Amino acid sequence: MSRVKGRLLVEGDAPPALERDLAVVGRPINRRDALEKVTGTAMYSSDMVLPGMLHAKILRCPYAHARIRRIDVTRAAALRGVEAILTKDNTRDWHTQWYMIAQPAFPETVAYAGQEVAVVAATTPEIARAAVDLIEVDYEILPAVFTPKAAMKAGAPLVPVLDVEKPRDQNVLRSEYLQGRGDVTRGFNEADVVIESHFTLPTQYHADIQTRCCIADWDGARLTVHESSQGVWNVKRELAKSLGLAEDQVRVVVKYMGGGFGSKAGAQRVIHYAAKLSMLTGRPVRLELTRPEEFVSHPRRYGAEATMRIGATSEGVLTAIDTEVVIDIGSGSMYKGTASVLEQISELYRCPNLRIRLIAVFTNTVPTGPQRGVMDPIATFCMEAAMDDLAVRLGVDPLTIRRLNHTEVFQGFKNGGDDAHSLPYSSKHLDECLKVVAQAVDWEQRDVTRDRYSTNSKKRGIGIAGYCLSRGGYAPFSAKADVVLRGDGSVELQAGVVEIGAGQATILPMIVAEELGIDAERVRIHYGDTDGTHYAPSSHASRITMEMGSATLQAASLARQQLFDRIAHLFQASPQDLAASGGRIYVRGRETNAMDFSEACAFIGEGEIRATGSRIPNPADVVFRGFGAHAAEVEVDLETGEVSILRVVSSHDIGRPLNPKLVESQQYGGTIMGLGYGLFEETALDRKTGVLLNCDLHQYRMPTALEVPSLAFDNVEGEDDFHPYSAKPIGEAPLIGVIPAVRNAVLHAIEVGIYKLPLTSAQVLNALKARNAR
Amino acid sequence: MEPMDSLPGADLAAYTNRRIAMTVNGKACLLEVDARDTLAEVLREDLRLTGTKVGCNRAECGSCTVVLDGRAVFACSVLAVELDGRVVQTVEGLAEGDELHPLQSAFIEHDAVQCGICIPGILMALKGLLDRTLTPTEDQILHAVAGNLCRCGTYPNTVKATLAAAAELRARKGQEA
Repeated sequence: MSRVKGRLLVEGDAPPALERDLAVVGRPINRRDALEKVTGTAMYSSDMVLPGMLHAKILRCPYAHARIRRIDVTRAAALRGVEAILTKDNTRDWHTQWYMIAQPAFPETVAYAGQEVAVVAATTPEIARAAVDLIEVDYEILPAVFTPKAAMKAGAPLVPVLDVEKPRDQNVLRSEYLQGRGDVTRGFNEADVVIESHFTLPTQYHADIQTRCCIADWDGARLTVHESSQGVWNVKRELAKSLGLAEDQVRVVVKYMGGGFGSKAGAQRVIHYAAKLSMLTGRPVRLELTRPEEFVSHPRRYGAEATMRIGATSEGVLTAIDTEVVIDIGSGSMYKGTASVLEQISELYRCPNLRIRLIAVFTNTVPTGPQRGVMDPIATFCMEAAMDDLAVRLGVDPLTIRRLNHTEVFQGFKNGGDDAHSLPYSSKHLDECLKVVAQAVDWEQRDVTRDRYSTNSKKRGIGIAGYCLSRGGYAPFSAKADVVLRGDGSVELQAGVVEIGAGQATILPMIVAEELGIDAERVRIHYGDTDGTHYAPSSHASRITMEMGSATLQAASLARQQLFDRIAHLFQASPQDLAASGGRIYVRGRETNAMDFSEACAFIGEGEIRATGSRIPNPADVVFRGFGAHAAEVEVDLETGEVSILRVVSSHDIGRPLNPKLVESQQYGGTIMGLGYGLFEETALDRKTGVLLNCDLHQYRMPTALEVPSLAFDNVEGEDDFHPYSAKPIGEAPLIGVIPAVRNAVLHAIEVGIYKLPLTSAQVLNALKARNAR
Repeated sequence: MEPMDSLPGADLAAYTNRRIAMTVNGKACLLEVDARDTLAEVLREDLRLTGTKVGCNRAECGSCTVVLDGRAVFACSVLAVELDGRVVQTVEGLAEGDELHPLQSAFIEHDAVQCGICIPGILMALKGLLDRTLTPTEDQILHAVAGNLCRCGTYPNTVKATLAAAAELRARKGQEA
């Protein structure tokens, strides 16, 4: 384990320590918005109706690559009840912002089957639907490519360029060695063994249960948008830019949202369309996607092909890692994300010689974008599966080889001609997490367990994997929160965050309550609204606890200071000597002579005490990561290939939980989504047309209650002063390492590796067949 | 709503304006429905009971689950015209006044709620189960919600909450007896 002395990352002085035990933070408080959610009164964007509201429907291109020769809306426009139609012909030069990327609202050349061609607003959804069917489009169908391999071939058709600011004349977005250190050739020369493994990883759909739905309402001067988005502020900024409005003219409201998981981090296309239609008609416009539309229009996880070459000494000490990862980014992508695939591979273990090549390729398929964990599940799977392959090859225990190559520090990268220089992690307990899960599955006895429970037709196996997670805290985003105290004793937190279901609206008021020494229920929170809040990041990339938690802590602490400044004279004491806890304020050490918190607030009078907290970007000399480990026990049926997961034990390096009840829920949710990614979820793309064949929730199989195995958690806690109350991110972490643990358990059971996800029965049978043929 | 006969190629007039009388959450409702209207649409649009969610509109996700004559059904796949004289219970009818149903209290206490969009459907699926038995096994609970997708992955807490709610209902029944 390792840890460096840190400070809360806020603008100005760090808040003073409370010098008392925590009273609110760390308690398993029920989530705030659960009551509305269990009574059905929570109004999601899809539940709202505004007076005079129009309904919009989208015409989508059925071809994966086509040029629109002519589009005729005459018949559609003549239908009674149709109020406005948008096509490329009346939106020339209109660029929507999507994941900060400017792209034509309706391009002349369509890049994937399902891309938007026209949008109709009408008085009823039925009329809008009928009008969409009346639009006549003359397409010139063009040749298309659906895999990176096909897209990289000489003479391959060019996937249309959606990013208007980044013209290109080839399908490869980037092909470069992004990170490296040492000398890979020398490293392989020093190796006693070299293994090479090739992995194929699938895309994954977010499959939020609420389909995208927004209502845009232009009143002639200001646009109000009711949305299901992960970040009101990002949507506001993107909309303002797209529509040519001043930022103040756009208000975005999200009180409840039915699932995001990365797919709703910015302004989705539907919002731009609804907003434009509302501005054209002067009426509120509702645009809701159907389930099949969700599949063909929203970004999905990047698919990848990876080759891992690892060199090691006969004892198992790594000497070289050489990786090439080809990423399918579909017809568009949030580009920055493609680089983070490398982090897990380069830093999970100590290795002096490393080279990682990234090749990101456009194809005529649905765009890609971040999904819970972004690239980390891909990288972790490749690294952790390759580590077990190496262990098998060397005859070394997989846990031993991981411990042998443990690194306490971030190893750094060669920068130009300079040698790599290492940096400390804010905290790291990966070694302890591995130990915890190993103990839980009785690792030392794993061969005995396997042999005892295996039969001729069913084989038992136990596997392990570690992970690291990099998220949050990076410039240029800011994160600000305001705490307001009023004379009536009320306390309000104003935070421009969205409650995505992870508990943002519960944990942030807990922080305020802790700093003010009052009950959490006393703190009101104004959130999910760009009016009355400062900029806050979207609820994505595990950044709310880390960034907004710090900003909230600072704001509450500054508000407390201001209150103390006003009332200290009543105690004949200096403000520094005052303390707040249990709803009372007193001079430290003289707790019997206390003033009620409300009584103290009365001295604020007519005005208010307002304090703003602001999180600064991560410093450059410390590296922030989450770590953890999973162990899985499986049973593999040799006849059917079915993999039954008997149990998964996880240990996350989480610092200290702000709210253990909500942390547990994140652990369940992340692990289950990870199991879906690794075991069930698979898309079927027609190889000839590029049309997605399983765009429904029956044939795109995500885990139901019946697929959840026994899940146990035993986290490693510890201090990390860079985080508020040492709370490290947990929203994405539980997903990342679970699948390589399952894969390695299957390897232990059947003594043959699986190299392609999802790890279906067919994959297992293929692997067994290949093994038997050897 | 605009007259449907303005739509091309469809003479829907003959199918509109069917009168039905159904009981929703204990209240008699007289409704005029189209033949194509689903129960989910009638609940959400005519009665504005938006607690019933629609995530797929074709019996894939379960978020529209309601209890119809004591059985949990997908409201998106039941036609409203079939419902004359039938009894429907939605999530809005689960609590009695301000007093939550034990399932609701247990869902809050066991954090069986994250984003919440699937929760009304899950609650009603489980109401259907607990109306049949107050001693459900874990397996019965899992099967009762097997048609309800929760992408947040609340399933383990769903089981804990349901067992707690069943225990509470048994205790109440014991007190009454």
